[in-house]
Amino acid sequence: MKWFPSFGFQRRKRELQEEIDAHLKMAIADRVARGETAESARQAASREFGNIPLVQDVTRDMWGQAWLEQLGRDFNYALRQLRKSPGFSITATAMLAVAICANSTVFSWIDGTMLRPIPGARDTGDLVSLQRGERSFSPVPPFSYLDYRDLREQNHTLSGLLAYHHDWITLTGGAQPERVYIANVSANYFDVLGIKPVLGRFFLSEEETRPDAVPSVVLSYSLWKTRYAQDPAIVGKSIEIARHPVTVIGVAPERVVGAMPGIREDLWVTLDPLGTDAWRMTHRSGGAVWLNVIGRLRPGVSRDQAAQDLDTVMHRIVAAYPDDHLGENRITLDPMWRSPFGANGYMAATLPILLAFAGVVLLLTCANVATLTLVRFVSRRRELAIRQSLGANRMQLVRQMVLEGAILSIVAGVVALVLTSWTSKTFAWFLPANAIPTVLNGTMDYRVVLGIAVSSLLACIVCGALPAWRSSHAPANEVLKAESASVSGGSRNRKLLSGLVVAQIALSLPLLLCSGLFLRTLRNLAGANPGFEQDHILTASVGLNIAGYNGDEEQLIRHKILDRVSALPGVQVASLTDWIPMTLSHKGDDAYPDGYVPHPHESLQVYHAEVGPRYFESLQIPIMEGREFTPDDNEKAPRVLIVDQTAAKRYWPGQDPLGKRLRVWGRPFTVVGVAKNSIHMLMNEAPEPMVYMNFFQQGYETIVQVKTEGNPADLAPAVENAIHEIDTRLPVFDVRPMRESTQMASIFAVIQSALAGMFALIGLVLSVTGIYGVVAYRTQRRTHEIGIRMALGASRVDVLRLVLVQGLWLTGIGLVLGLAFALGLTRLIARLLYGIGANDPITMASVVMLLGAMSLLACYLPAHRAVRRNPVTAIREL
Amino acid sequence: MNGKDQYKNRIELLQGTLDMLILRTLQWGPQHGYGIVQALRLQSGDVLQVETGSLYPALHRLERQSWVQSEWKQSESKQKARYYRITVKGKKQLASDLGRWERIVAAIGSVMYLNPEESES
Repeated sequence: MKWFPSFGFQRRKRELQEEIDAHLKMAIADRVARGETAESARQAASREFGNIPLVQDVTRDMWGQAWLEQLGRDFNYALRQLRKSPGFSITATAMLAVAICANSTVFSWIDGTMLRPIPGARDTGDLVSLQRGERSFSPVPPFSYLDYRDLREQNHTLSGLLAYHHDWITLTGGAQPERVYIANVSANYFDVLGIKPVLGRFFLSEEETRPDAVPSVVLSYSLWKTRYAQDPAIVGKSIEIARHPVTVIGVAPERVVGAMPGIREDLWVTLDPLGTDAWRMTHRSGGAVWLNVIGRLRPGVSRDQAAQDLDTVMHRIVAAYPDDHLGENRITLDPMWRSPFGANGYMAATLPILLAFAGVVLLLTCANVATLTLVRFVSRRRELAIRQSLGANRMQLVRQMVLEGAILSIVAGVVALVLTSWTSKTFAWFLPANAIPTVLNGTMDYRVVLGIAVSSLLACIVCGALPAWRSSHAPANEVLKAESASVSGGSRNRKLLSGLVVAQIALSLPLLLCSGLFLRTLRNLAGANPGFEQDHILTASVGLNIAGYNGDEEQLIRHKILDRVSALPGVQVASLTDWIPMTLSHKGDDAYPDGYVPHPHESLQVYHAEVGPRYFESLQIPIMEGREFTPDDNEKAPRVLIVDQTAAKRYWPGQDPLGKRLRVWGRPFTVVGVAKNSIHMLMNEAPEPMVYMNFFQQGYETIVQVKTEGNPADLAPAVENAIHEIDTRLPVFDVRPMRESTQMASIFAVIQSALAGMFALIGLVLSVTGIYGVVAYRTQRRTHEIGIRMALGASRVDVLRLVLVQGLWLTGIGLVLGLAFALGLTRLIARLLYGIGANDPITMASVVMLLGAMSLLACYLPAHRAVRRNPVTAIREL
Repeated sequence: MNGKDQYKNRIELLQGTLDMLILRTLQWGPQHGYGIVQALRLQSGDVLQVETGSLYPALHRLERQSWVQSEWKQSESKQKARYYRITVKGKKQLASDLGRWERIVAAIGSVMYLNPEESES
């Protein structure tokens, strides 16, 4: 089989041969003409000419293709060698492919999310995400429009600063209202992102705050495609959003989904399209703090410089409007790949660690394949020695052996490439159905391909070059002379083999430990009590506020919904809320308790939720003091709120919080109750003060929350029907049991434990087969020696000990090194654990025992086999 | 200049000399490899014996640099052989090689034949 094209190589080779033949013939002819005999002339001429193959060789070097021909020859040779041992070739390729695929899969997820934070935007590396006040893992929108405008106009380090507010709304005008995700954006939104429309135009600066009778709207490509059938004349047409006519002015390009990483937007409108947000546009605190802000750095400006510049501007704003800016106001910037707004904060906390694990798996696999390769080379050392003594130089031998490793790595890389094109899309599997329009998945692009190439190269160096280099050192004459005396392939190789086995154990221990910790974290999360009932609760979102009703109609419909749903059979308690805990979303605002003097730079932000009567009853959250909301707390009654224990303790330590007053959005609220603490976002969150306001006084979105007798999913159609009986046009979304919604809070724990578990399993299998292979191989090579020992009277126990001890030594060293490595690595994951310490002794002990026991078994099998052999046959076997 | 570069220069100088000699031989007309060896030996009065292991690599290298062209022709003794012919580019190269060679000879000569007493005064 010919693998390399010869580029006319054969023809040129023939011509050279002919040229040399002609030279010789002429030389002979001359000598014969001078009177020599034909025979002596021929001998003299060829003597004079010299070594013909050598002349051909050095001449061919001049053609500049010699290396290619040689490579082709070595390649074919390597391929032949690999075909001779298909077991090894297939196993090694498969292992490497899986290890490379593990890396490229995680990397494709990073590539698709963190490295591609805003699809379609230009130079996302220059974009920074602004945060104000205390840094938080999951902050709420931090800026008011006026603050944003001042920052935009007064900074000196940004080439642009955009603002947006993400929300959802209904597209009406069709048969059924359709939920879409919408963003109110500053006029420069698309400019700063560097996006051009595919149709029409984007917003003009004079439109930014201008209310219009018929507001303008920009459609996303997918909405244009699915709902408007890619109508080329859509620009200028009127569509209906929440029963308001709006005019389409443009369509965004295909991949553009908006500025919040991982979150989809379908429509874009200006900041105050209807004039209903006038209050928001003219205030700087409370409900007017609603915008997320992203800046683009000027060329040559660092993030730190920009942060300082913006902080200076912010200081001026705070000095001018101190009452609107109590608490901490420092501005910090994040690059988009770890922007805390959207999904990337979570991604950045999880994926790099998983990539590190995958890297360990790759190293481990390389060590394993290197062991196998080394053993192969040792068993081929006679052949190598013969070739060396026949004149092959060491470089040539090394090149051929490296090429074997290179072929395995390249094939593994190609297999991994094919696998990754599928596995990169599996990230979405981990996302349960939820109300967040996530667009998270891996991507397969040149960066991933490059990553695979780098992994393959690493594999090639470790599995090919390292063993090849070591094997080529064997002195040829000794190998040929003393075949039987060298019992296990020379002490140099023995050390390298031992080193590789130790490395495999040392690398797999931290993988096992981390996966053990993650699995226990997952179990703890599943078993943990978040402080509220999840099991018999059904929730359903009603798109009331976005459907275009006026305020009075809304209140009426809300009461009707409550009445009808409560009356359904199987419903124990029905309540209304505008927030579901543990769904990775929350609302926050500054709250000013009367009589409380904040520390300098203390954040006054609290979580808040608006909940209806019987909310606490249905979720079984105990009211510690005071009372729950009642139907009497309506919009005409005095504004009341319920705080949780954290808020009570923080604002009124040692006092009775009942009757105390708290200002939110400049309006006073009276505390009527204290609820027991419960989880808001994640099980391992630090408790944040929570303030429950009354749904009928402050509620925005409408979520029906039902406590059921049986399985909540069974009641979903009935609840939906009951709502539609009031008005068929009422959009109802996200009808699902609470248990399903709260899964969002543990998806990253699931991802971590699933991947770490898989990686650890691979690690365990590899390291155990690795030590088994080496001990079995060495024992087999010592068959003769063991036979002699037994013939001379060594007992079975002695032989068993002989074989076991060396394996156990390796295991022991590997475990100690691995433990040290693991202690370093677990520190990285400490933040991701729940209910268990990073150095949990039980997990650590069980992992060490597991690995130790598996290794012991791996060493015992060959030892057992050696002992059972008949010494006589063992001695005969060489 | 480090040692490796010096070494490289020395090789180039030697190669250049052989190249120059081959190109000079070809100025009298196209010639095959055997003919070049004979010509060099005759013209140098049996002093220069070119190794085939140097000649053929040199010829093929010169051809790759387009200083010579080759074609298969019948010799006077009806032997088919590969004839090399100097190109225009090759002639230019020969001229520059020759100039360099003369400078080297002159430079070495002025060192070797310099009277030590004269240089001191």
